[in-house]
Order: sequence, then C-alpha cells, then structure tokens
Amino acid sequence: MTATTPWSPNSFTPADPSYFKVKLTTWAITWGLILLVSLIPGILLATGVEVLLWLVILPVLLVVIIALLTLRILRRQVAALGYLEREEDFVVRSGVMWRKQLVIPYGRMQYVEVNSGPLERRYGLCQLTLNTAGAGATAHVYGLPEAQGQLLRERLVAAGEEKML
Amino acid sequence: MSQNSDWQRVHPASPFVHGWLAIVGLLYIYWQNTDELSMAERFSGERLKWTVVLGAAALLVVLAFYFLSWYFTRYKLTETHVYVNSGALFRSQKQARIDKVQGIDIAQPLIARLLGLAELRFDVADSSESVLRLAFLRKAEAHELRQLILQRATGPSAANPTASPSQAPEHTGTFAANTPEASTPLMAKVPITRLFASLFLQLPMLIGTLACVVIVVLWLSGITGMIAAVLPILLSFGGWFYKQLNQGWNYTASATDTGMRISYGLADTRQHSIPAGRVQAISITAPLLWRLFGWYKLEVNVLGTKSDELDNLQVLPVGDFDAVTRIMGILLPDLGISNQREVLSTAVSTGYNHGFIGSPPRAKLLSPAAWKHQGFLSTETTVISRYGWLARTASFVPHHRVQGTEFRQGPWEKRRELAGVRLHCAGGNIIGYLHQIDAQTASEFTLAQAERQAER
Repeated sequence: MTATTPWSPNSFTPADPSYFKVKLTTWAITWGLILLVSLIPGILLATGVEVLLWLVILPVLLVVIIALLTLRILRRQVAALGYLEREEDFVVRSGVMWRKQLVIPYGRMQYVEVNSGPLERRYGLCQLTLNTAGAGATAHVYGLPEAQGQLLRERLVAAGEEKML
Repeated sequence: MSQNSDWQRVHPASPFVHGWLAIVGLLYIYWQNTDELSMAERFSGERLKWTVVLGAAALLVVLAFYFLSWYFTRYKLTETHVYVNSGALFRSQKQARIDKVQGIDIAQPLIARLLGLAELRFDVADSSESVLRLAFLRKAEAHELRQLILQRATGPSAANPTASPSQAPEHTGTFAANTPEASTPLMAKVPITRLFASLFLQLPMLIGTLACVVIVVLWLSGITGMIAAVLPILLSFGGWFYKQLNQGWNYTASATDTGMRISYGLADTRQHSIPAGRVQAISITAPLLWRLFGWYKLEVNVLGTKSDELDNLQVLPVGDFDAVTRIMGILLPDLGISNQREVLSTAVSTGYNHGFIGSPPRAKLLSPAAWKHQGFLSTETTVISRYGWLARTASFVPHHRVQGTEFRQGPWEKRRELAGVRLHCAGGNIIGYLHQIDAQTASEFTLAQAERQAER
C-alpha cells in the first residue's frame, strides 16, 4: 500500500490491547439495551396483545445484524487508534472506514486532561484529551495504561510550556 | 480629565430602560382590576382620591427602587482598569484590565434608542465569564468613552492623536468635538433594497415563501387542517428572516486604526469593533442565486465575542466584489502572494490560476456539481480553500491561526485515492476545508502544514 496518509500507520503507538475489552463491554451493554427495546413487541405478543408478526421479527433482526457488523470492525477500530509524539507536534489517528490523522502543534495546546471511567479503571486504562482554542482541534488518546497516561501528560505539558516561552 | 480618578454614575434614566416593563406591568394590573369602571368613575369623587394615593404609592416604590439601582451603579476609569459597581443589596464589583480589552460594542435597545442612550459592552481577553457591561450613558458620551478606552488599550503612542500625522486632519480637537463615525472611512453599506433582494434569493427564504403560497392556497380552497402543519415551518423561517434582516438593516462597515467597525440593527442598534488581530478565519460565501448578481457574504471567526449568540460574526451581509476586496484588505492585508486582487477573484470563483490546486477529475462522481469549484492554494501566509455546491465558499485561514490540521479519508475517497484536510480554527465554526483532493497532495500538504505550524 502506498503512503496515502501523512504518517505511516506503523509509526504510531497503538492503544493497549486490553482496551478492546473495554470497547467489547461497552458494545455488549449498549446493544443489549437496544435489543431489549426491540423485544418489546414480542413481549406484548406473549402477553396476549394483538401485534403484527413482522413488527415482532423485523426490529430484532435489524438490531442483531447491525450489532454483529459493529462487532466485526470493533477490533480493527481499536487497532486503528494510536498517537505519535514528534519534535514539535502531537499526532493522533483513528478510524477504519473513515480514517483520520489530526496533528496539533505543542504551541497550540491549552490544557491536557486525563480521565478514566469505571470500565477503563478495571483494566488499568485511562484516556487523555488534548485541548486547543479551537473546538474541532481536540485530540483524544484512548486506551492508555494509567502510568503511561500520566507520563504522557507530563511530557505534553512540559513540551507545551517550552513552546510558550 | 476629571473622570480618571472619580467614580461616575450612569445616566439617571438607566433603571427605567432596564425596568420599564415593571411600570407597564403595574399599569396593566391596575387596569385589569378596575375593568368594570368607566373613565369618569376612575377619576372622580372618592375614587379619585384612592387612584391618586395608590398610584403615587406605587410610583414612589418604583422610583425608590430605580433610585437605589441608579445610586449604586457607578463606574470608574483609571489608566489601567475599568471598574463597574452595581447592586444595592447584592453588590457586584466588576473590573476589566484596559490592556486586555479587545473590543467595545455599543448596543442600543429600543427604549434606549428613543432616549438617546447607549450601552457599552467590553470584550475582555482571557475571561470566560460574562462580559462587562456599562449601561446606560448618553450616546455621545458612550462613543467618547469607548474611543478613550480603545486608545488606552492600544498603547500610549496611539493615545496621542498628534502622534499619527496622517490622521491629524480627522482628529482635530478633543474627542468630544467629533463623532467617531465622521473620522473613519466608510467601507461598505447595504442598501435596503439589496438587503431584501439578497434575503429572498436565499434557499431558506425561497422555501419560506413557498410555504406562504401553500398556506394561502390551502386557505382559499378551504382546507384548514394542513395549515397547522405548515405554520411551524413558517414561524422558523420568520425567525431566520428577522435575524438576517436585523443584522443587515442600516448596515455600515468602516475602517478603524485597529481593524474595522460594523453597525447594524432594526430595533436595537449594535456596534461591533473587530480588531484585525483577533480575526482567526474568514469565509466568503456566494449562495446559488447571488452568483447571478456577483454578491457575496463575509463572515469571520473572531475571539472574544462569546457575549454574542452568533457563532460566526457576519462582517458583510451582502456586497459586491469591491466591498469584499476592501474588507479583506483590512482584515487580512497580507495574503502572502502578489496581485492579491486577482487571487481573491479566483478564490471566489472557479479556475486554477495563480497555483490553485483543484479536485482531480476522478472526484466528479462524488461531487458532480462542486468538483470544479473545490480547490486550495497555500501561500506564504494563508491557506485559501474553496468548497461547497449550492453555496460556494472560499475560506481564508492564516497559517499561524491554525489550531490543528486533520487529514480525513472516507471509504469512497479511499477508493479513488482522494482525501480531505480540515484546518481547525478558534472563535467560530469557519474552517479551512480542502475537499476531495488527490490523496498524495493532501498528505504532503498535511506534513507541510505541520512543519509550518511548528515554526510559529
């Protein structure tokens, strides 16, 4: 494959493999809830209410198909995440179908956040958000091991301060 | 100047402008409760006494509140700060550092305009909280104060009018002697006929007019049930129409020392200062039907307008190419390329002169109508990008204003070896948008842009 992206996908630091488990759990919870909703016509039918048969089958079928399709690209989505620290700027990449590579110079950085939700904490992960003055130019780094996240934040803040002087 | 050290009070009519609704409300309540009485009964005999006593008491209470509100609202201007204190019970003390003041708007709500009063709104950098407001002063006073503060904000050299000899004939005497309108060259004006024409030639208005016709036809043919369905659409178009009308009404743009100033307003007159140094990105848009007349709309991303509900600031509601060139000359004087005027004219049309790089023909299937217009040019200072199908847009983003560069490629673009680049900016939603260009070119541009950003 020719280099049609600014930076080769191999040069990025990938997300921790255990981040896939976080995404998988989120996937299971989200689609589980949607499946429950799609089952409502079936439950109504079981309790004796007149419901058209296709109204019972179609929603469930649709939900299952979409959920499985999402599951198929989930692993590749996680594999597509990554960040790249360079001399003067920071690059993040994401997306399988819609590929994105966002580069933010250290000098534009306003603040760096490290967050971790309960699911991520279970796997010892966190996510890092790099904010600039522009709403569109916000870099997210997902699936960072906690220690690595703190170190990365310190490095970013240091690089930003250096550029500010 | 005596106002340097002393606290000053705002105009005594200010509380009335803020609270005229209270008086109207009281009158309404009175009227409601004496509904059954005739005029003669209200103002005769025993009634008269009560009417006068109650009316006087109510008036006294209102006046007392007004007086307290006025008494405790004071402002002070020092060499470095503007202070505004207000509130009798809950005191609030606000201040702004003059050297952080980025712009001062003058607003005139309807009642204030009738009384010849104006409100000053300060845009302060590094302050995410609500803007500092000073309301109300006499209009001339407000202009004078604003001029004074802006001069202090731009530094001591600009504070002295004789320091700029070229401006000397315009700045004769004190600031009180001449209004700022007289001292600044006019750059653009929008005649009301053109404003109306431009509004009706835009898609929302065409749809709105169509909805009106549908309603009339339905009404005439006796179908009233459908009207309820069309009405909400009509109302939202009405809102859009009013907003646009208000922003273009009596619109004037003039050049100032630091940038430009615009003023507009149908019921409320607003004035905006736009310092050129605060402009982050500029877009020139030509909706489909405007292209017949060669009209354009100019919008900017500007920092420090969080006080506004607008996301982008419209600096020209509608104007011809000459007006566009004049305003661009103020807001973005250095395009980083020679023969700027011709480059501008290429930017707002199609064509690949002056080094514009367009979408390759293989983008035709993805954007059949827009691919010829899409393109970009990266100069020494600025990235110019063209995109859009019905409404053609050219956006101008100075290199040193780019917050982040994003390379994007969707599945259909990938198959045709195309890609896009977005240049994200602060202060609004205008972005640099390189749409469906050759993937290799887009990659190289992204790398080059990252390189340029690092230098600044």
